[in-house]
Amino acid sequence: VYQVFENVAKKYDVMNDSMTLGIHRVWKDILVHKMNPCPGTLLLDVAGGTGDIAFRFINYVHSVRQRQLQRKLRQHQNLSWQEIFESYQNDKFNNSLGDSQVVVCDINREMLKVGKQKAQHLGYSEGLSWVLGNAEELPFDDDKFDVYTIAFGIRNVTRIDLALQEAYRVLKPGGRFLCLEFSHVSNPLLSRLYDLYSFQVIPVLGEVIAGDWRSYQYLVESIRQFPPQEELKAMIEDAGFFRVDYENLNFGIVAIHSGFKL
Amino acid sequence: KMAAAGGLRRAGWRLWRARRAVVRCQQYPPLRALQGSAALRAASDEHKKEPWASSSQQHFESPSPGHQPEEKPQGPHPSYTGQGGQQSEDYESEEQLQHRILTAALEFVPEHGWTAEAIAEGAKTLGLSVAAAGLFHSDGSELILHFVSDCNTKLSELLKKEQKLVQLGEAEKKPIDEFLRDAVEARLRMLIPYIEKWPQALSVLLLPRNIPSSLSLLTSMIDDIWHYAGDQSTDFNWYTRRAVLTAIYNTTELVMMQDSSPGFEDTWRFLENRVADAMAMSNTATQVQSTGEAVVQGLMGAAVTVSNAGTCRAVR
Repeated sequence: VYQVFENVAKKYDVMNDSMTLGIHRVWKDILVHKMNPCPGTLLLDVAGGTGDIAFRFINYVHSVRQRQLQRKLRQHQNLSWQEIFESYQNDKFNNSLGDSQVVVCDINREMLKVGKQKAQHLGYSEGLSWVLGNAEELPFDDDKFDVYTIAFGIRNVTRIDLALQEAYRVLKPGGRFLCLEFSHVSNPLLSRLYDLYSFQVIPVLGEVIAGDWRSYQYLVESIRQFPPQEELKAMIEDAGFFRVDYENLNFGIVAIHSGFKL
Repeated sequence: KMAAAGGLRRAGWRLWRARRAVVRCQQYPPLRALQGSAALRAASDEHKKEPWASSSQQHFESPSPGHQPEEKPQGPHPSYTGQGGQQSEDYESEEQLQHRILTAALEFVPEHGWTAEAIAEGAKTLGLSVAAAGLFHSDGSELILHFVSDCNTKLSELLKKEQKLVQLGEAEKKPIDEFLRDAVEARLRMLIPYIEKWPQALSVLLLPRNIPSSLSLLTSMIDDIWHYAGDQSTDFNWYTRRAVLTAIYNTTELVMMQDSSPGFEDTWRFLENRVADAMAMSNTATQVQSTGEAVVQGLMGAAVTVSNAGTCRAVR
């Protein structure tokens, strides 16, 4: 698995776009909207290599924070200019993210490197940390994070139950587990089209764009082997999460599973 | 052997969960034992062997039998399995935890409005992560409904106390219009701390998704008030009385939203007038009814007279 992603790292984003025809951006947006983070949230994005979820999280929190500051400003309409100026002095210490932070953790150094470059390129400077780590054995303390996300990463983990237990461990009480992953399509017609697309088109794209059809063959096969929605839900409940639920996107091509540590 | 026990437990757990999934369709989720956020975790090995035994009896009453407290799965985590006997078993249901979070969130409503942010702040005060706000809908509906049902409960208790005083002879029984006025005023006064954000709450309550719940809360409150007012009728008047009081309550609430007079005196005066109108209307109604009866009797009398006159003429 490690070597697959070593090969894949540089072309990861391009391949994602071409394979899913750009819809993966929408899926990731939906994930962050479902999370609905407020400023001050500490996010752990596992297998988050190139930082897609992390950047979206930062944008979301930033806009929420702007709205909060605007609201505060509106309340200031009745204050004198001097009082407003003094409040600016205090606000300077509140950063534009309101103390939110993302820790991007990935097992693959190459993916993290690409992610860091992307962050620099896009201008994300604060609130990001990049850590090398294994999802089955996270290098973090207990009860640390508010939200744990793993987007398109959990199917690459050999022992999913260990990863889930680690997720439970590092989450604070009340924390949320979110998992975005390819899943099973129940609609038979769509399922056939999807199979056709996956097995015929994707490896070819892999060869053409990234020069590596084997990795993408592996990718498609691992999607088929991954447990379906209900089974994954049961595994998440086994790890100790409550209120476990899943939301099918695009009829089950992708599903978002959510659970709380209560 | 441990694996078999684990497998058995897991199978039993799944079965219980399947049953729970069916029950979930009901309005209120069944009580499910879970560990309080601040509580220590308990995972004694004896529990694993006998899931249905003592633990479910120890804790709060649960509607369905065989409720199993949530436990840690047996796994490579000695930090959990080792702490069996020492820790207190402080279980509460998911519903109770949600209740606590919403109650804690109320104090942040004046600042943040009826939003997920207020719920997040509330969760923070309980020691939970802000992500716990994800348990609820992002538009704050549950928070508002929780608040409304809380207010209704408080009103009920207030009315019950007053009734007790009257029964004990320590207070005078109020005339009906004064009773209604005081009840509605007491209920509306509970909105005062949140009055600025209340219009937002009203608009959320009117969302199609929330209408069943908000409507049922409203009607049960009105029923309550009439019950304590001494209304035992089950006839046609039942509907009119409830409709009348609902109209009074709703219009007064709307007036209160835009009232800027000191102590909301304009609102209370409006309320007084509406209640007086309603009383006058009911008198008129009874008058109309008796007038109607008189008219009908007159007609009947005339008809009898005419028929008598006819038969007399026929006889003659």
